[in-house]
Amino acid sequence: MAHRILVVDDETHILQVLSLKLRNSGFKVSTAVDGEDALRQAIENPPDLVITDIQMPYMNGIELCNALLNNKTTSSIPVVVITARGHTLAVSDTDIANVRDVISKPFSPRGVAELATSILANISTQNVERSEAA
Amino acid sequence: MYILIAASATIVAVASIAAARYWYLQLRSAKAEMEKAIHDVDSARNESETARIHGCIDRTRRRQAEAVFDVLRDAVIVVDAHGEILHANAAAGGLLSVSPEEAAGKVMTDIVNDHQLASTISAARNGLPSEGRLCEQELSFNGEDVSYEVHLQSVGGHEEPMHAVVTVLRDLSREREVARLKSDFVSKASHELRTPLSSISAYIEMLVDGDAADEEARQEFYNVISTETDRLRRLIDNLLNISRIEAGLMHIDREQVNVGELVERAVKSMAHQANEKEQEVHTQLAKVDLTVNGDSDMLYQVIVNLLSNAIKYTPQGGRITVAADADHLTRSLHLSVADTGLGIGPDETDKVFDKFYRVENYRRIANGTGLGLNLCRHIVETLHNGQIGLDSTLGMGSRFWFTIPMAEKTGRVAA
Repeated sequence: MAHRILVVDDETHILQVLSLKLRNSGFKVSTAVDGEDALRQAIENPPDLVITDIQMPYMNGIELCNALLNNKTTSSIPVVVITARGHTLAVSDTDIANVRDVISKPFSPRGVAELATSILANISTQNVERSEAA
Repeated sequence: MYILIAASATIVAVASIAAARYWYLQLRSAKAEMEKAIHDVDSARNESETARIHGCIDRTRRRQAEAVFDVLRDAVIVVDAHGEILHANAAAGGLLSVSPEEAAGKVMTDIVNDHQLASTISAARNGLPSEGRLCEQELSFNGEDVSYEVHLQSVGGHEEPMHAVVTVLRDLSREREVARLKSDFVSKASHELRTPLSSISAYIEMLVDGDAADEEARQEFYNVISTETDRLRRLIDNLLNISRIEAGLMHIDREQVNVGELVERAVKSMAHQANEKEQEVHTQLAKVDLTVNGDSDMLYQVIVNLLSNAIKYTPQGGRITVAADADHLTRSLHLSVADTGLGIGPDETDKVFDKFYRVENYRRIANGTGLGLNLCRHIVETLHNGQIGLDSTLGMGSRFWFTIPMAEKTGRVAA
């Protein structure tokens, strides 16, 4: 079954381009335009991966990562952070247990799709190993 | 008889000469003594005069030195070898809450109420390297903690005994604030530039990879690339123009400009952004001559900036009205952009046109550099002798407006 990815960005163009690329790469995609919206969706229907921008209204990407980590339903969901803050972002800002990778804008949609594939493939392998061990 | 008389006369004459000589010698000696006495009195007077003059010069020099200290914005405290304050300038007086006159002659540790600084100065009295000592300290005066650069230098103290320690305190908060604003600006500008660039490069890559399913999708991609390129160009124009205006290098191309046409062009170019947020943009152009003598590109940039802000800070489904009218009485053109957004509080309405200023409530809603409105003010007020302003009530939307003098020709027609 196809993995489901939640893409979060307040820039509609970015949201559209990432969704399309990920759908074309075989994933199921849902979208949110800010952190609060994303958190609500993630709790209601936990995705396999969250890809989020940092600078967003109401709840930013870093706050979202922490909120996902602190909620039992969503704490194990891996997160990829995309940021236009580049060099002004301190390493410690994204040093959060669920953050798997940080991508700088401008980014390659192809690169994001490949990263998502690789993260989700690892998770699938781990899950298979876990279920086999059980 | 004659001989006797002659002899007597001779004797008298000789005696007279002798007497005269005696008195002459006496007088000369007295004169010399008097002269010496006069000289002594004179020299004594001269010495006191010299001392007085030296005293005057010293006082004048001291007053001059103190006057020089007093105009310095940095606080200067001069402490003698016994730990007494020789001079505290006006800036130091402000920090220590004493007047320079009150401070002079007092024990330094009684006047300098920041313990850290008092002990730094006390330690310096026991000796300093010849080049002085420079350090940064967080000092507390009047209940406020501020970072200071503390420079200590001893006067004398090499081969002669140390006379005094001069302490100069420089408030670093302004420099820190400028540095913070600069780095904040670089971070915001970098974010603002990278965002449209991300869209452009991502959509181009999608086209290259064949991710657009059909011609319609491709056309949509081209539109995004074109819109985002415009956005990038606007940002770069804002950044460059603001620097040029500030450096006084801005060249303005005056011509007859029909502001009505500029409004229509601006509304058309921002239609895509407004549609994305399902906002209605209305134009109300008075049916009068809306021609001004100005720089068409720059006035267009002002209208686009005001419109783009209105779209950005007005929630989904809001309404934006761009109105232009001519006041023939004052011979000025009036343009306004009104929205149904969040509005701006009275304490912030004056600040929104300041460079880098961002409305507190809006920071979390949308990104920005805090340059757009500052550029608008420069273009309207510095380059077109106009006026820019804002009427707003929190929660009731904002109305940004500007007025600029109309073209000479229009004024005459109107009259």
